[in-house]
Amino acid sequence: MHIIALTILRYESTLKIQGYRLWTIKSLCPREEREKSKVPGFKYEVCIGLTSARAAEILARDGPNALTPPKSTPEIIKFLKQMVGGFSILLWVGALLCWIAFGIQVAQGVASAFDNLYLGVVLALVVILTGIFAYYQEAKSTNIMASFSKMIPQQALVIRDGEKREVSAEQLVVGDMVEIKGGDRIPADIRLIFAQGCKVDNSSLTGESEPQSRSCDFTHENPLETKNIAFYSTTCLEGTATGMVINTGDQTIIGRIASLASGVGNEKTPIAIEIEHFVHIVAGVAVSIGVLFFIIAVSMKYKVLDSIIFLIGIIVANVPEGLLATVTVSLSLTAKRMAKKNCLVKNLEAVETLGSTSIICSDKTGTLTQNRMTVAHLWFDDQIYSADTSEEQTTQSFDQSSQSWAALSKVVTLCNRAEFKPGQENVPIMKRVVVGDASETALLKFAEVILGDVMGIRKRNRKLAEIPFNSTNKFQLSIHETEDPNDKRFLMVMKGAPERILERCSTIMINGEEQPLDRERAEAFQTAYMELGGLGERVLGFCHLYLPEDEFPDTYPFDTDSMNFPTSNLCFVGLLSMIDPPRSTVPDAVSKCRSAGIKVIMVTGDHPITAKAIAKSVGIISANSETVEDIAKRLNVPVEQVNKEDARAAVINGMELKDMTTEQLDEILINHSEIVFARTSPQQKLIIVEGCQRQDAVVAVTGDGVNDSPALKKADIGIAMGIAGSDAAKNAADMILLDDNFASIVTGVEEGRLIFDNLKKTIAYTLTKNIAELCPFLIYIIASVPLPIGTITILFIDLGTDIIPSVALAYEKAESDIMNRRPRHKKKDRLVNEQLAVYSYLQIGIIQSIGAFLAYFTVYAEQGWLPNTLLGLRVNWEDDYYNDIEDSYGQEWTRYQRTYLQWTGYTAFFVSITIQQVADLIIRKTRRNSIFQQGLLRNKVIWVGIVSQIAIALILSYGLGSVTALNFTPLRVQYWFVAMPYAILIWVYDEIRKLFIRQYPGSWWDKNMYY
Amino acid sequence: AVWASVEFLGFLCSLGLGGLSVCLGCFVCLVFFEKMAALNEKKTCSQRMENFKRFVWNPDTGQLMGRTLINWVWISLYYVAFYIVMTGLFSLAIYSLMRTLNPYTPDYQDRLKSPGVTLRPDVYGEGGLEIYYNASDKNSWEKYVTTLHKFLSAYNTTAQHANINCTSEKYFFQKSFLGPNKTKYSCKFTSDMLENCSGLANSTFGFPEGQPCLIIKMNRIINFLPGNGTAPRVSCTAQHDDFSPLELQYYPVNGTFNLHYFPYYGKKAQPTYSNPLVAVKFLNITRNAEVTVVCRVIGTGITSDNPHDPYEGKVEFKMRIQD
Repeated sequence: MHIIALTILRYESTLKIQGYRLWTIKSLCPREEREKSKVPGFKYEVCIGLTSARAAEILARDGPNALTPPKSTPEIIKFLKQMVGGFSILLWVGALLCWIAFGIQVAQGVASAFDNLYLGVVLALVVILTGIFAYYQEAKSTNIMASFSKMIPQQALVIRDGEKREVSAEQLVVGDMVEIKGGDRIPADIRLIFAQGCKVDNSSLTGESEPQSRSCDFTHENPLETKNIAFYSTTCLEGTATGMVINTGDQTIIGRIASLASGVGNEKTPIAIEIEHFVHIVAGVAVSIGVLFFIIAVSMKYKVLDSIIFLIGIIVANVPEGLLATVTVSLSLTAKRMAKKNCLVKNLEAVETLGSTSIICSDKTGTLTQNRMTVAHLWFDDQIYSADTSEEQTTQSFDQSSQSWAALSKVVTLCNRAEFKPGQENVPIMKRVVVGDASETALLKFAEVILGDVMGIRKRNRKLAEIPFNSTNKFQLSIHETEDPNDKRFLMVMKGAPERILERCSTIMINGEEQPLDRERAEAFQTAYMELGGLGERVLGFCHLYLPEDEFPDTYPFDTDSMNFPTSNLCFVGLLSMIDPPRSTVPDAVSKCRSAGIKVIMVTGDHPITAKAIAKSVGIISANSETVEDIAKRLNVPVEQVNKEDARAAVINGMELKDMTTEQLDEILINHSEIVFARTSPQQKLIIVEGCQRQDAVVAVTGDGVNDSPALKKADIGIAMGIAGSDAAKNAADMILLDDNFASIVTGVEEGRLIFDNLKKTIAYTLTKNIAELCPFLIYIIASVPLPIGTITILFIDLGTDIIPSVALAYEKAESDIMNRRPRHKKKDRLVNEQLAVYSYLQIGIIQSIGAFLAYFTVYAEQGWLPNTLLGLRVNWEDDYYNDIEDSYGQEWTRYQRTYLQWTGYTAFFVSITIQQVADLIIRKTRRNSIFQQGLLRNKVIWVGIVSQIAIALILSYGLGSVTALNFTPLRVQYWFVAMPYAILIWVYDEIRKLFIRQYPGSWWDKNMYY
Repeated sequence: AVWASVEFLGFLCSLGLGGLSVCLGCFVCLVFFEKMAALNEKKTCSQRMENFKRFVWNPDTGQLMGRTLINWVWISLYYVAFYIVMTGLFSLAIYSLMRTLNPYTPDYQDRLKSPGVTLRPDVYGEGGLEIYYNASDKNSWEKYVTTLHKFLSAYNTTAQHANINCTSEKYFFQKSFLGPNKTKYSCKFTSDMLENCSGLANSTFGFPEGQPCLIIKMNRIINFLPGNGTAPRVSCTAQHDDFSPLELQYYPVNGTFNLHYFPYYGKKAQPTYSNPLVAVKFLNITRNAEVTVVCRVIGTGITSDNPHDPYEGKVEFKMRIQD
């Protein structure tokens, strides 16, 4: 039976936590759960834990100890959203109009009424199918996430009914006594009542990368700061502890942060805004032309029903039905490409967001740094040596010949409790798993790299006594036999806080010789210590002492409690400083971001000095820029006197940030190009992100901890770390970096920018033919010619021939170095701008229409209907009862013979648009460069597109030409070439446009013709 | 020439001008939509109005709808030039298309393989061609009579005086243009050839008697030779033989189209050509009952089994004569 003394009762009044559910121990451990200690002489009551019955009661009241997953939109709502988003509404209106027209015509007994019914059904099908497609695409990318949320059921050791038992962590309730030990995940928020050498890793919660020690002492009002609470989902690194569950499930700190994250609204992605903008333009054009021509048609004495049918045609012609699906495909292609480069995209639209990012708020630990302490500098023989801190180090190149180094290396090796886990002989040293804290791990690996076989050395120098590190004496000490059989002396080695170590030393080792530690030496030590500390590194001092053989014989009983050995007048050996070093690829990536006009801001929970040092070493603060404090120091004036605008860099402490108004924060964000935020809390991270967004910036935020999730959610694009990231962070993020490497973001940015450019091309390509589809209806209404192209035929272009080519544009390579230009301005650089719409609609679109009309007139003329005969012919032409209309040559045609000719016209018009779309596709490969600079054959997919386009047209004309419902006919071979000159004209015209744009940048032409 | 008609050039010009004005309108609209779409942000109504006003006229930069006046002039000039060139290119293309066309025969006739057949009087009701009347009510049949008279007015002697009398029972091939004004001759078809149904002897075409005359006409197709040497003839049958078989009288005799009316050489070569006709007099139509009649033109090369085209080679109509 496990019993715990209720010594903690005295704390109950002090456990007052703001906004935190207060549980006093008394209320948790009611009288019936306590009993008099059975241990003789032990006067306190003991707690025997909850009874199973009571636990079940509380469980029923509070629910299981698990985070409620974020409320997800029901699938059906998601699906319906796809059904009404984008152009769908317009198409629904079209379908509805079709059915209305059908209803009226059926009532009137018109023979062709069913055409409208079918058209309506087809339109509805188009909406439903594209909706299903978009839904499927979205679901697919969401599924990627499912793999992350596989939860391993966690067990907790709990005391119930006076017995220790393993229960699933979900079954924990408030009041349960749980035991934790090194390596466990904390199963709930726990008030510790007993702790021994307990350290927890709170990095996922607070961002502090260092292990935090836990004890039973109440040390702070703030639950996040006090030492006697261990938090749900953090891990216990070492030691053991017993505690009482004070909060479970969503009530835990983590649970509350998670709900904070879900409270942050999901902003629309930039590309979603752009697409909406584009949909508005197209829908605006469609509706206004539709309404305008409806009015024209009515005032031209057309029947209202006919006018409605024209309206349907105009809507169908104007709406690029396949475009949104194409955009989705292009985005998912890019997402796939990015996944290969370690950027896993959760939300398809986020692909582009990364490209338009103008500020990256990056976490330090793990993203910019390697997330492991590594020895960076050494100081011995009065000299600072740098160590290699790269990820893949195998040797160290500093001068190792000095005797002092030999002594120092011995201290480093022996005065260390960290050990490699066994069975890792073949693993590279830097990747081996170590039991021990971060600094000791760093020292162990450092020693292993240089000396090899540290464990062997330790074995040969047997440890006799040891005082582990604790926060009061701030040193660690151990006494060893030496491996030299002739040397019978014991070696005492010690490491700890440098100033504490120095206090205990009277000599210092210089070039292997012990020399008195005079003032000059002490000053040299101070300088070195300050310098290393100034680099943001954690410095440790090392000293040793050979215990004299006569005083300490072989059998001397060392006692660590009474310390029956000297701990002063030692010999100082050297300093070692450690840092979590930057990843080697990061500086390059940061400079790439810089040249791409992206501001990189570091936001970290770490100390300002460390943060600044890392910022400097990765280039977030460039070598020659200074902070206000630096300038003040250089000029030797108070900080207030420095002109703030002189300082490019700024290091802002979380405490300063707390007192800042939004205006002050804005001012900092505007005035300084290089900013580091240190010691920031999760809420502050959110404030920083909002501040950046106020500057109209598109903000990317990286993060791994639970504490980052609100900021990740708030950011335009949240990037979570795949390896170090917590589930909460991954859930809140839009993108996951599989290798946790900042450099991967840069490749992501590149892809994002490329897809934006390519989507522009895709849209320009798709919009062009809308005019060629629309003009027939307008001419049909105004000039009353037989209808040049049918609504169904238009759908075959939009959803048939044009689909693959427009996707193929997503494979187009960048025209220039897209990483050398500024990120696009969210409000100025639109996806579809005036120039793009005007150039596509009113120039290329018009040329296309003319080419297609030429084919139409040619087909009719060669069959006997000269253009002038066609004018005003519509009413007779469409009269079912007029079966002997004379053509230009005097021949007489029945209704069906005319209809068949009309279909031939449709096919010719269709083929001409297709042929010209090939030219359109080729010109859209580039916006500025000549096609020949870009290379005609470089993008093979374009050619697949062209071939598919022509193949589909061939199949439709010759293969399905006999299917009456499709309105296609086998077309004479020569009609395929009628529009060819216009296709060439399109190409030539566009080359001229691009030539002038290149020749006269900034000119009137450039401004009006470049999209 | 037909193809260079002033009418069409006028059309092109108006198309160009109309296109230009429509396009400039569109241009302004596009700029407008671009702006309106951009205004779709969370703003108050008054802010939007303010923004919109600034967009329409920005006094600071002197911009009207996002462009300065001079800029508008330039862009308009550019588009005027662009559309003039485009209209020119299109006109040129249409002109060259016309140059390639044969003025006498169309290049292709594959959409017109078999002639359509029509009925006069052509009065359509709910279910297609319908000849419904009350023999005793003059008002109910007068419209048919008027239609027939009107139709046959093109076949009176004055109208046909330019055509020649043909007697041959063979195709009337003409290689060269021997007619006046470089044309080819057309054979005369006068209404009196329809004898009892000519409307000359009986100006009511037998309607009041309940023995109406209906006229069957075959569509013209250039160079089409129906019947392969035998004259094609009209044959009418009742769709359902519930009633006594139809007693019919065809005019001209046997209901044939004389071969000398074929081939047709087209409007330009034979400006005065008129289709030969066959009149059918229904002698024993059952009173007060609906009779569906199909009249086919029988002859080689004339198909009447196209499922899509009810008027190819045949014509179907309903008759109902009441007392």
